[in-house]
Amino acid sequence: MPETPSILDARALTISRRVDVGLIRVLDGVDITLEAGTLTDVVGPSGSGKSTLLLALAQLLPGVEGTLALGGRSADTIDPRLWRMRVAYLPQRSALQPGSVASNLALPWRLKVRTGAPAPDESALRAALDRVRLADVALDRDVTRLSEGQAARITFVRTLLTAPRVLLLDEPDAALDAESSAEVGRATREFADAGGAVVRVRHHVADGLADRRLRLEHGHLTEVAS
Amino acid sequence: MTTQLAGGVVLIGWPQLLLASGFIFVTGALALWMQLGVTKDLAIGAVRTYVQLLLLGLVLGWAFSVNQWWVVVGILALMTVAAARIILKRAPDAPSGLFWAAVTSMAVTGITVTFAVTGLVIGADPWYSPRYVIPIAGMVLGNSMTGIALSLERVFSDLDARADEVLAMSALGATPWEAAHPSIRTALRAGLIPAINSMAAAGIVFIPGMMTGQILAGADPLEATKYQIVVMLMVAAAEVIGAVIAVLMSYKRRFTADGVFLEKGLRD
Repeated sequence: MPETPSILDARALTISRRVDVGLIRVLDGVDITLEAGTLTDVVGPSGSGKSTLLLALAQLLPGVEGTLALGGRSADTIDPRLWRMRVAYLPQRSALQPGSVASNLALPWRLKVRTGAPAPDESALRAALDRVRLADVALDRDVTRLSEGQAARITFVRTLLTAPRVLLLDEPDAALDAESSAEVGRATREFADAGGAVVRVRHHVADGLADRRLRLEHGHLTEVAS
Repeated sequence: MTTQLAGGVVLIGWPQLLLASGFIFVTGALALWMQLGVTKDLAIGAVRTYVQLLLLGLVLGWAFSVNQWWVVVGILALMTVAAARIILKRAPDAPSGLFWAAVTSMAVTGITVTFAVTGLVIGADPWYSPRYVIPIAGMVLGNSMTGIALSLERVFSDLDARADEVLAMSALGATPWEAAHPSIRTALRAGLIPAINSMAAAGIVFIPGMMTGQILAGADPLEATKYQIVVMLMVAAAEVIGAVIAVLMSYKRRFTADGVFLEKGLRD
């Protein structure tokens, strides 16, 4: 069997946080390798540091010790903004900017980091929405008229459209009904099958899409037997 | 009770000054009776008004008689530092270490606008003429202080209110400027509101302070109006320039060098 290429390697990730009882290590020397074409679920009790792990992998957290590499290249040699473009983190809470659905979907291409990159046209935006059961949402709809679940799917679609190499999803289906959750799950699986790597933080029961499940507790990551 | 006239100005004696203080005693008694809990603050405020303004009168009298550039520059420096300290007190959400941003914004605003007005509009001679420079600088610094304090308070509170959106934008690769831009715009608008309100209401709702002072001093109302127009425009300019400098010098303190937004839980 051919060896699966590793996309992202994290070694000895460590971060401490001050809590009421003193200083605790939220991540205590965590190692994780994300391979192309794989979908990894991270589970664990609330407050165990699952979101912290995703933020650390996306370089969106200060004070993290350890090393990160993307495609074998050390994070130290990659501009953090370019890193975040390739290792895309999707927060649990959907935060859209005031304006239309289309303007929010096109936001990444208005940022300096994507200067010169061709923005998806209207038909591409429409197709992306249709893919996650948002066929009834017009591109010119104001985002204040969206439900929480619709907003969550729009931010998910937006992240997919940026074509990252790694997708870090923080409870992507927390605000979704069963059907929408299944569509988002299917799109996530397709992203991985197309050669990407995915990490999902989930509280729901396993949906059978993940290649492996890891448990984060007391700062350590362990494999969950299937 | 007799009043004296000096150069068209009605002179106020100490008895009249004490009589005017009677109003604050009435207010204090009312606050005490209604248990507003501000009686002490009112008393301190009244005493400070007496002490600070009488001291100011003495200092201005001395500065006018000495008439030296270094005295004027020294007074402006003291006013700038005092204003910067007040700004930081009024923006409790602002991160620490903003003293120099406040001083720089006040100093640039104060120097630029004050000397533009005294030199180009009034034509003060010499350039440091304390009779013109100090009062004009006082108005410029006082008003830009309000604008800067409002803008600084708003930019950091708005960034906190938009923490989810800022994180989402950073995750898409936004620079701190791109992620903070909506908050910066909101903050600068907030800082400009007092100046815009003043310009809209001037002459209709209230007669501005400087014009009132000149009319009481016997000046021709039309001449006083011209001065006041200069002052109003100058104050608006000072608020914009000061707020822009202060906000641009400070918003990045909510981000790390790598562009990570420091939301509440991540700050020291």
